[in-house]
Amino acid sequence: MGDTRQRILEATYACVARWGLAKTSVEDAAREAKVSRATVYRTFPGGRDELISAVVAWATLEFFIELYEQVQGAESLEQVMERGIMFAHRSIVEHEVLQRVMQTEPEKLLPTLTFESNRIRQGIAEFLVPYLEQRGVAPGVDLREAADFLARMVLSYMSAPGRWDLDDPVQVAQLVRAELLAGVVAGPGPASPQPPGLAGLDG
Amino acid sequence: MDGVVDTAVEALVPGTGPDSPRRVRIIDATLACLARHGTTKTTVDDIARQAGVSRATVYRVFPGGRDQILGAVVDTEMARLFSALGVRLGEAGDLTEALVGGIVEASTRLRDHAALAYLVEHEPEMVLGHLAFDESDRLLVAASHFTAPFLARWMSPPEAERVTEWATRIVLSYAIAPSDRMDLTDPSQTAHLVTTFVLPGIRSLHAAGTPTVIDITPFGSPQAPPDPPARSFPGSARSGHPSTDQHPSEHSRATEHSRATEHSNATARSKGAMP
Repeated sequence: MGDTRQRILEATYACVARWGLAKTSVEDAAREAKVSRATVYRTFPGGRDELISAVVAWATLEFFIELYEQVQGAESLEQVMERGIMFAHRSIVEHEVLQRVMQTEPEKLLPTLTFESNRIRQGIAEFLVPYLEQRGVAPGVDLREAADFLARMVLSYMSAPGRWDLDDPVQVAQLVRAELLAGVVAGPGPASPQPPGLAGLDG
Repeated sequence: MDGVVDTAVEALVPGTGPDSPRRVRIIDATLACLARHGTTKTTVDDIARQAGVSRATVYRVFPGGRDQILGAVVDTEMARLFSALGVRLGEAGDLTEALVGGIVEASTRLRDHAALAYLVEHEPEMVLGHLAFDESDRLLVAASHFTAPFLARWMSPPEAERVTEWATRIVLSYAIAPSDRMDLTDPSQTAHLVTTFVLPGIRSLHAAGTPTVIDITPFGSPQAPPDPPARSFPGSARSGHPSTDQHPSEHSRATEHSRATEHSNATARSKGAMP
C-alpha cells in the first residue's frame, strides 16, 4: 500500500511538472502511475483535492530532505545556517515546477504550504537545537525560543530574499552572523568567508 | 504594489485625486462587504448599494470594475497601515520604542482588520497568493522603503532599509503563523523580542559595515565621541523631517573620521569587538 501511494504521488508530480496543477486530473495520475482510478480513490479518499494536497506535502518534504543532506556536514551553527539559506534560496529559484505553479496558479499551492508551514518551522527549529547547544546561547536567551525565531527567519529569507543577494557568500555570512545570530549566541564564532581586501571577520 | 506609495501620498494629502472622497467611500463600502461575505459574494451592485451611490458612479470612478476596485482596496489599506505606522514611528523617542511600537502597531492592525480576517478564514487563497515568494519580496521592499526614513534619526538610510525589512519579516511571520508564546500585539512581549534578538543584530550589522554606507562612525569605536543612545548620521537628513538634527560641525567631524573609520572598523572586527 505504501508503495502504491508513493507511486501515485510521483506520477502525479510528473503530471504537474508537464501540464501544471489545474490540468492534472485523477485520470492523468492513474494513467501515469499505471493503476486504476479506483486505486487512486482508495488511496486518496478525499479525491483530487486530497491528492493535490498530498503531492504538495510530499514535494515539500523532498525539498527539505535534500536541504538536510546539503547541510548535515556543517560543523557549526553559522555554517549550517549559511549553507541552508544559500542552498534553499538557489533550489527555490531553480525549481521549475514550483516556479511554474507559483506563476500560474499560486492559489492552489499556498494554502497547503501555509498549513504545512508550522510543521516545517518546527522541523527546522528542532534541527537547529543541537547546533545551538553546541555553540552556546547568550546569557538570558531561551534556547527553544531562539530556535523558533531563527527557523522563522530562515524560512522568510529563503523564500523572499528582499534586498539581500543570497548567492553572495559574504552577504549571507553578514545576514547570518551579524543580523540573525548576534543576539542569540555567546561569544565569537568560527571564521567567516572573507571579502577581498578586508581584515578577517571574526565573531 | 506600485500604487501603494502613490496611494499613500493621496491618503495623506486629501483631495489630490479626482473624485477622491467618492473613491474612498466606494473603497470603504467594499471593505464592509468583504468583511461580511468575502470576495466571491461581493458584486459591484453590493458595493454601490453599500456606498449609497449608483452603479454608474462606481464604474466612473473604477472603469476596470470589481478587479480594479479590489486592487485599489489593497493599495488603500496598505497606505493606511503605513500611514499609521509612520505616526507611531514618528512619535517614538528612541530606537527601541520605534521598533516595538511599529511592530505592535502593524501586528495589531493586521489582527483586527475585519475584511482580512474574513478572507484568511474563508478564502485563504486570496490572501496567501499575495504573500509568497516574489510578491512577498515586493511587499518587503515597499514596506521597508516607506518606514525606513523614520529610523533615519538613529542609523544611515541603507541600514534603516535593512532593519525595516527585517521588522516587516518578523511582523509577517507571526501574523501568518501565530505563536502562543510570542504575541506581537503585546508591547512587553514585543519588547522582549526586540531587545533579545533585534537590537543586537542592528548593532552587529552596524559594526560589520552595511554595503554602500558612507561616512559612518561605528558605535563604540575609540575615535567616536561619547555615544548617546540616539545619534544622527551625516547624510541621513531628510528634508522636512523634524527630528533629524544635523549640526554642520558633525558633518565635517564625520568626514575627518571616515578614513580613521575604515581602520577602526577593521580593528574592531579583528578583535571580535561588539558594541
